[in-house]
Amino acid sequence: MTKRRSASARLEGHPLTPYLFAAPVAIYLILFQFYPLVQELYLSFTFTDLLRPSDSTFVGLENYSFLIEVGELHKVLGVTAIYTICCVVFAVGLGLLAALLLDAPFVGRGVARALVTVPWAAPSVAVALVFTWMFNAQYGIFNHGLRALSLPFGTENWLDSPNLALPAILLTTVWQIFPFSSVVILAALQGVPQELREAAAIDGADRLNIFKTAVWPTIQPTVFMLVLFVTIWSLRRFDLIWLMTQGGPIGATNTMVIELYRQGFVYRDLGSAAAIGMIGLTVALIITVIYFKVTQATERAQGKR
Amino acid sequence: MSSIRFKNVSKTFGQKEVIRDIDIAVDDGEFLVLLGPSGCGKSTLLRMLAGLETISGGEINIADKRVDHLPPGQRDMAFVFQSYALYPHLSVRRNMTFPLLMQQFRWWYHLPFIGRWAKSRIENAPDVVAKVDKTARILALTEMLDRFPRTLSGGQRQRVALGRAMVRNPQVFLMDEPLSNLDAKLRTSMRAEITRLHKEIGGTFVYVTHDQVEAMTMGTRIALMRDGIIQQFGTAREIYTDPANTYVARFIGTPPMNLVEAKLDGKGVEIGATHIKLPATFPAAAHGDVLFGIRPNALGLSREPGLASLPGTVVMVEHIGAESVIAVRLDGARTAHESDESMDAVMVTVPGYAEFTVGETVFLTPDAAQGVLFSAKTGERLRP
Amino acid sequence: MGSQTTHLPRIIAVLALLGVAIFPIYWMFVTSLTPSSELFAASPNLFPRFEQLGIYLEVFRTIPVATWLWNSFVVAAGTTVLSIVLAILPAYALSRFRFAGIAILGFALFATQMLPEAMLVVPLYAIFGQLSLLNSLFGLILANTAFVVPVITWIIKGAIDSIPLEVEEAARVDGCSRIDIVLAIVIPLITPTLAAAAVIAFFHGWNEYVFAQTLISSEALRTASVGLASFVGELSTPIHSVMTVGVIYTLPAVVFYLFAQRYVVAGMTAGSVKG
Repeated sequence: MTKRRSASARLEGHPLTPYLFAAPVAIYLILFQFYPLVQELYLSFTFTDLLRPSDSTFVGLENYSFLIEVGELHKVLGVTAIYTICCVVFAVGLGLLAALLLDAPFVGRGVARALVTVPWAAPSVAVALVFTWMFNAQYGIFNHGLRALSLPFGTENWLDSPNLALPAILLTTVWQIFPFSSVVILAALQGVPQELREAAAIDGADRLNIFKTAVWPTIQPTVFMLVLFVTIWSLRRFDLIWLMTQGGPIGATNTMVIELYRQGFVYRDLGSAAAIGMIGLTVALIITVIYFKVTQATERAQGKR
Repeated sequence: MSSIRFKNVSKTFGQKEVIRDIDIAVDDGEFLVLLGPSGCGKSTLLRMLAGLETISGGEINIADKRVDHLPPGQRDMAFVFQSYALYPHLSVRRNMTFPLLMQQFRWWYHLPFIGRWAKSRIENAPDVVAKVDKTARILALTEMLDRFPRTLSGGQRQRVALGRAMVRNPQVFLMDEPLSNLDAKLRTSMRAEITRLHKEIGGTFVYVTHDQVEAMTMGTRIALMRDGIIQQFGTAREIYTDPANTYVARFIGTPPMNLVEAKLDGKGVEIGATHIKLPATFPAAAHGDVLFGIRPNALGLSREPGLASLPGTVVMVEHIGAESVIAVRLDGARTAHESDESMDAVMVTVPGYAEFTVGETVFLTPDAAQGVLFSAKTGERLRP
Repeated sequence: MGSQTTHLPRIIAVLALLGVAIFPIYWMFVTSLTPSSELFAASPNLFPRFEQLGIYLEVFRTIPVATWLWNSFVVAAGTTVLSIVLAILPAYALSRFRFAGIAILGFALFATQMLPEAMLVVPLYAIFGQLSLLNSLFGLILANTAFVVPVITWIIKGAIDSIPLEVEEAARVDGCSRIDIVLAIVIPLITPTLAAAAVIAFFHGWNEYVFAQTLISSEALRTASVGLASFVGELSTPIHSVMTVGVIYTLPAVVFYLFAQRYVVAGMTAGSVKG
């Protein structure tokens, strides 16, 4: 760090240069991200109709209290929590298994690694389209398969069933995002020293112990970071859920973002929409803070700090 | 009864044969050194012994039991890696406890809560703790037991790696160039330490290195390897005084043994215009072109010719404090030194500060009793 | 451990994994080639009927696919160009400069990752309305860029981090200004990363739905994502036609990505894994 500072100091030119470099993007972001964000904050304290956006009435915390008491905020939060936790567990877990599978050398490994990223490359809209068709009660391939194997749920209309809609959405989401996990973890696995694995093997460790002792400590920071990213993205995910279930049936797949969109564009209540947005943002911030605290504590216990 | 037995062991990677027909027996309690340059196969052989590489042909037996089909954890061996391979997230104590823990591990220890309780019970068992403490004491690690590898120096990490190997009391210790990553001073002290450990513990050590000083000082026997074949297998003394071929002759010793082109007849060798009588007689089949091998410290150097002395010109003089190294290009005779030596000259060491200058004419008198002969064609040792 | 071995269980597991990954795309393709008579049959048609390939041309006649694809392409390309141009200077600044606002800029870029598009689309709609940017592809490009610039900046920063300072110092001694250094030295050195960033930005523009849906109202400017979305779940348009559009929309993305993925992976993981 010190070396860089003094080295960069030798490059010093005009003192304003750094600011000039950062200015365009800063202005751009302020205009298109932060100013709208501030507007949202303001909107959340007003009653505003979608069709008459300039006609706002200040109502203080009424939107928030409405959401909590009548708007079933707790249900939305619950669905969001379940969705997020399941996404993280399954996408990271499946990604980890896929990465471990694709780590050892075998014929065609390069092709396999490339092909496994296809779900991530497919646009969300197309994914929503084909999965909706696959979940179709009578003609969808899933039910065809279930019926052929005499398994239950073969006649259910997945996306219309209050109990099966969320699992269906989860399946779709995890399918789409696990390749990202596997690619990131695969890259981290390359950093595991082969000798460490061998040392564990010689010490008599079985496969799982080799993983826990030699592999996991090296990839753990990456996996933690991955967990954070998948969590934040799950809180944001809109396209798939909206297109497939619009948050239904009866709010079974109604995450915060979906509820936000519904409040704003279906009920035309921009104030409530903004309020949910603010709550969601707060949740995301809290999660990030918790993440950093947990990471620090873990590193301390492992003797890294 | 031999402790380790390699029977016609070979290994191929794809099309390339890297280990060819290794067949040696290692005695119980021996300190075997696998010596050789990079790529000669010594590490591969060690790893095959450990079970980290599979064998393409042949057998490996330990105490008369075949082991080459067993996985690494079941061969009752310990391995010290060049990079130490310490578990970074475990303290020194837990690093050393790990092999003992794995010895008693049951499959259901993987379960979340029961597993943790069972593991902690083993880790705190008095006999386990006693073993770790004892090993730590032998290696002077007692104060560092609760520290993490990240905070230790290279030498300390080396000792932890040794400790982790020792704590199980295996029948065989394998070490893959453990001292290469240490600085010179530390290397010398650790060399002595490992030798001391060997005497104290008494197990069979197999030690891989490319450093001939380590090999000569530590090993009871040395296997010098090149391109997957053992060039010679014997004690340090045998390898030094009785090399099996020109490669061995020029690998050991600094400066290495000189090889001079000569002609062998019934009475001795003829080098250039000089005839040198040899104490032993060689079979007629060996007569003809040979290489005469003589160590730099077995040559007398003077400005005056003597009986059976070789004339030459000084081409280089180096003073190394206690002795001087002088390179002499012979008149009328050539050396068979490998191209990387780049000098067609005979190296002579003389004690003290020798007052010779480049370009001087000098005369070398070899001590014929210490000379050895090699076939000029095959490089193999010729014996009387 | 040791040499390459091909275990049967591993092969089966890998094939199963690949099967799961590919199947929905495959299914989209099969369905596009399934004749109407068989779409609603009792047992499903599992293999593509290549004789039905004509549908890929036919669909351009009945559905404005060409327009949609063109609009999507314009938006994606525009997003790519704009986001990279905007990201290079701050990426350089984050990598090389230490000044008061740097930490804030870095944090701000990270923080934007937490903002859902669905939330900002409302105020953006209002702002665009005031700026007369509604219902224009250019407006859509501006909106998409705002969301992808932070990621792009971070990736490019990572690449600039790995350029040794000595190269720039030499140029400085030769009298180059910072801008010259960036243009003449830094950019050529990070071309692979720029390629990776371009792929990511292009993807974002091509796949994006919410803004495209909300900020564009005229049919002539509709992007493929919105056009395709109008078919999700409804069964009045023939399923095979819809799937055909789906395949046409998905194929460029997947093929392009497979082709460039080596660079994307390297670009995205270089920074994160080291730490």
